[in-house]
Amino acid sequence: MNAELRSRLESIVGPGLVYGPGEPVDGVRPTLAVRPGTQDEVSAVVRACAEAGAAMIPLGGGTSLGLGNPPARADVLVHLDRLDRVVEWDPANLCISAEAGMRLEALQALVAKDRTVLPLDPPGLRRVTLGGMVAANPSGPCRLQYGTVRDWVLGMRVVLPDGERIHCGGRVIKNVSGYDMNKLFIRSLGCLGIITEVTFKLLPMPARRAAVIGRFPDAATAWAVVGRTLASFLLPEALEFLNVEAAQLLGGPPGTCVLAVSLSGSSETVDRQVRDFTGFFQDGGGTADVLQEAAASRAWEGIRDLLEGAYDPILCRIAVPLSATPALVAAAEGMAREAGLKAVVTAHAATGVLRVLLAPGADPHPGEALMVLEGLRREAEAAEGSLVLEAAPRSLKARFDAWGTPPGGVDMMKRLKTEFDPLGICNPGRFVAGI
Amino acid sequence: MSEQAFIRDLREIVGGSNVLASSVDLQLYQYDGYLEEHRPEAVVFVQSTEEVAKVVQCCNRHGRPFVPRGGGTNLTGGTIPFGGGAVIEMIRMNRLLEIDIPNLRARVQPGMFNLELGNALAPLGYQFIPDPASQKAATLGGNVAENAGGPHCFKYGVTSNHVLGLTVVLPDGRVEKLGGKAADIPGFDLTGLFVGSEGTLGICTEVLVKVVRQTESVKTLLAIYDSIEEGSETVSAIVAAGMVPATLEMMDQLVIHAVEASLHCGLPMDCATLLLIEVDGLRDDLESQAAAISDLCRAHGAREVRVAKDDAERALLWAGRRGAFGAVARLAPSFLVCDGTVPRTALPQVLKKVSQVAAKYDLRIPNVFHAGDGNLHPLILFDWRDADMKARVLKAGMEILSLCAELGGTISGEHGVGLEKLDAMRLVMSEADIQAQRRVKTTFDPANLANPGKIFPAKEVACER
Ligand SMILES: Cc1cc2nc3c(=O)[nH]c(=O)nc-3n(C[C@H](O)[C@H](O)[C@H](O)COP(=O)(O)OP(=O)(O)OC[C@H]3O[C@@H](n4cnc5c(N)ncnc54)[C@H](O)[C@@H]3O)c2cc1C
Ligand SMILES: Cc1cc2nc3c(=O)[nH]c(=O)nc-3n(C[C@H](O)[C@H](O)[C@H](O)COP(=O)(O)OP(=O)(O)OC[C@H]3O[C@@H](n4cnc5c(N)ncnc54)[C@H](O)[C@@H]3O)c2cc1C
Repeated sequence: MNAELRSRLESIVGPGLVYGPGEPVDGVRPTLAVRPGTQDEVSAVVRACAEAGAAMIPLGGGTSLGLGNPPARADVLVHLDRLDRVVEWDPANLCISAEAGMRLEALQALVAKDRTVLPLDPPGLRRVTLGGMVAANPSGPCRLQYGTVRDWVLGMRVVLPDGERIHCGGRVIKNVSGYDMNKLFIRSLGCLGIITEVTFKLLPMPARRAAVIGRFPDAATAWAVVGRTLASFLLPEALEFLNVEAAQLLGGPPGTCVLAVSLSGSSETVDRQVRDFTGFFQDGGGTADVLQEAAASRAWEGIRDLLEGAYDPILCRIAVPLSATPALVAAAEGMAREAGLKAVVTAHAATGVLRVLLAPGADPHPGEALMVLEGLRREAEAAEGSLVLEAAPRSLKARFDAWGTPPGGVDMMKRLKTEFDPLGICNPGRFVAGI
Repeated sequence: MSEQAFIRDLREIVGGSNVLASSVDLQLYQYDGYLEEHRPEAVVFVQSTEEVAKVVQCCNRHGRPFVPRGGGTNLTGGTIPFGGGAVIEMIRMNRLLEIDIPNLRARVQPGMFNLELGNALAPLGYQFIPDPASQKAATLGGNVAENAGGPHCFKYGVTSNHVLGLTVVLPDGRVEKLGGKAADIPGFDLTGLFVGSEGTLGICTEVLVKVVRQTESVKTLLAIYDSIEEGSETVSAIVAAGMVPATLEMMDQLVIHAVEASLHCGLPMDCATLLLIEVDGLRDDLESQAAAISDLCRAHGAREVRVAKDDAERALLWAGRRGAFGAVARLAPSFLVCDGTVPRTALPQVLKKVSQVAAKYDLRIPNVFHAGDGNLHPLILFDWRDADMKARVLKAGMEILSLCAELGGTISGEHGVGLEKLDAMRLVMSEADIQAQRRVKTTFDPANLANPGKIFPAKEVACER
């Protein structure tokens, strides 16, 4: 089958653009890799794979190939890096359509020329592609004010697992012409088809930017300030909590945790919020460093990417109702300590999303990480939330499902998967409940 | 015979008095805001998720379709029981189940009116953002099913952006909880898919919504123009200047006259169009934003810009906007609310064409709409007793939707497809696009019992590939 499929793929994209084996995906090595250059070619590639019954794995920037369970099968890696063109840019209507392989950073740089932004800030922003971002639904600290991918996608083009090309949504803000099919593909981790183009809504660029970064003697004082912020009228873009271990990575005095706010808007509102937050932080027993413009942006990049590039990371994302966040942070620290590990925790303090990196402690006991994860998942699920494994060594993944207890509606999810991908060839086995 | 058994079974589930089956009663449920009528076999008032599940199971057993109905304010025939069967009336499931401020959530039953939720949150200093103009009579279940928008959606998004979870009764009668209180529940975003599905994927029996802090301050402006073009050009100019007002609404002279005649809001009668603009947020820059917007309005031809001085003045301006559809009812026995969306910059062009359509079909078409979203609502006036006129109305409506599609927009911004726009779907979708949506429908509802006949156009005759 391989030789035949290989020559078929070569006839679609040209000989230099098919090779094998492909790069490993979460430890599984696809036999072939292909780099289509147009959306039509993606469709033809998918058709060829479907006819051969070959399992496909779409690949964007590769920043989150550790997310989910290892693929059940992997025959063809479909690189989308050559699909990196802008399809239509309409600054006056605040929207842009671009191909799925385009880097988020390139899109940001482009729209900035017209003083607009796509206010999404996933970690590893430099390498993230539009398609990967839509498929994996990552989020950064700014989700506090701007929400997530689903709030910014107006439309997309998708190649379904049988090679059929469809268009969802459009390029207007309001659109209720039939089902909101965008939602089906956003965060589906590429298991219902390959996204080939995305249309985003944009925002005018704020006139000013600043950050206030505070250090607090302990978590309780920091959370008290979070509470005060939530009760206020203030509108920070992001409010991030870093526990002592995470704060350590950022530098500064040991034994303190960090609360950081990002502010943007008009001069007047930024000034007011800098003033108010400085007051909140100091009243709450913390310090307050004010950073402006480029310095503020740099500091935020540092915070956003704090957990990046860790050695052999065991990294998970926990989402709980907002008020349960402090308890989950404490639980992560406590459980890790008992297991001889360190928990490096960053939390989007006002949205209930936190990320925990388990690092070797002073006296590492390999294998204990599993117990920490299991304990944390129990806590998260008891609070009506979830714990998702973003990256872990294979040995651990073999014993710990990446997604946890199946969510409500899981039967319907399985039926949707079968309806759209009856052969089970699109990213098989990676998603929730073996989808 | 079998009809009797069906009704008997329904009565057994919800109690005899909660099922209407007399001819007079049924007549009241055979229509809504659209122009078609079909009679159901029964109307069932439900009180709980369990009852809804049982009623749906009963419909399955009898092979009868069912249509959920909230306030019945939709404008596209979504609640018309096209295939007969049961209308499941949600209006008595109207309790506020929980306000959870620490988690910024509220849990409500679907029959609650949108405005009631707002009224419950306001004293606490919080709000639920989507605020359709029909909010007094539209239910949250209906908002979810139509993915309703409203004046504040330009800045804050539509219903879908504010719903976190749903309890739904699937078309086979099973109950599922989708989404939840925490963010990012793993799995496909079935909540997002369900929102806007117009009752065709099941019935939602509980809604979990985001609530947000009220804003510190608002400023409301009224800009008065002698030409429609200048008004609609201002809309783009405001956005191009980097401002995102909370609302940007527009109404034309016919509407203004109707509003003044019935509501007396003090609107000028001799202008061509008005823009109702509201900025909100921290109080610190609202003054300067309002000044910048006023300047822009004047630079684009506004002859006057009024700024509401206090809450009373503000309320008066809003009463005019919210009451506009109702007021227009003075102008003619009936009107068809057209609903299409264009990219904002195409507004001047599409408005001009709408007036050409009016001339072509010899109809009067006032406009009141969400200009910031490019979401227009030409109100095509007519007399329902005049069959010829009614035919012209339908043609004019379709022509306007085609215009929206041609200009890069779509055929519905907020009212959905219902029965009205089945054929219009093809203006913006390929056969493959429609087929993908059908796959979703068949996955959820293989027996096609949940609100059948809506959304999907008739299958196209197979042509050569
Ligand atoms: C250091 C680091 C930190 C991170 N932190 C977070 C975090 O806090 N929260 C969070 O949510 N995420 C996080 N991520 C994940 C990452 O930011 C996103 O998942 C990212 O958007 C993936 O983009 P990508 O282009 O690299 O996709 P890839 O890694 O290439 O692919 C991601 C997934 O999507 C599929 N896919 C890729 N392209 C397509 C396509 N066009 N169509 C269909 N499917 C496709 C792939 O098969 C794969 O399953 C982190 C990643 C890194 C490296
Ligand atoms: C004067 C006026 C102004 C309007 N302004 C706006 C506006 O600004 N923005 C806007 O978006 N719309 C507007 N509308 C349209 C309409 O009010 C909205 O679509 C509203 O959300 C419908 O709610 P409802 O409770 O009346 O639903 P209904 O009309 O009863 O039902 C609408 C659809 O939802 C389904 N449905 C109802 N309840 C449920 C449920 N619990 N589960 C599943 N499906 C259900 C029905 O089957 C039907 O398909 C306006 C209408 C009028 C008459």
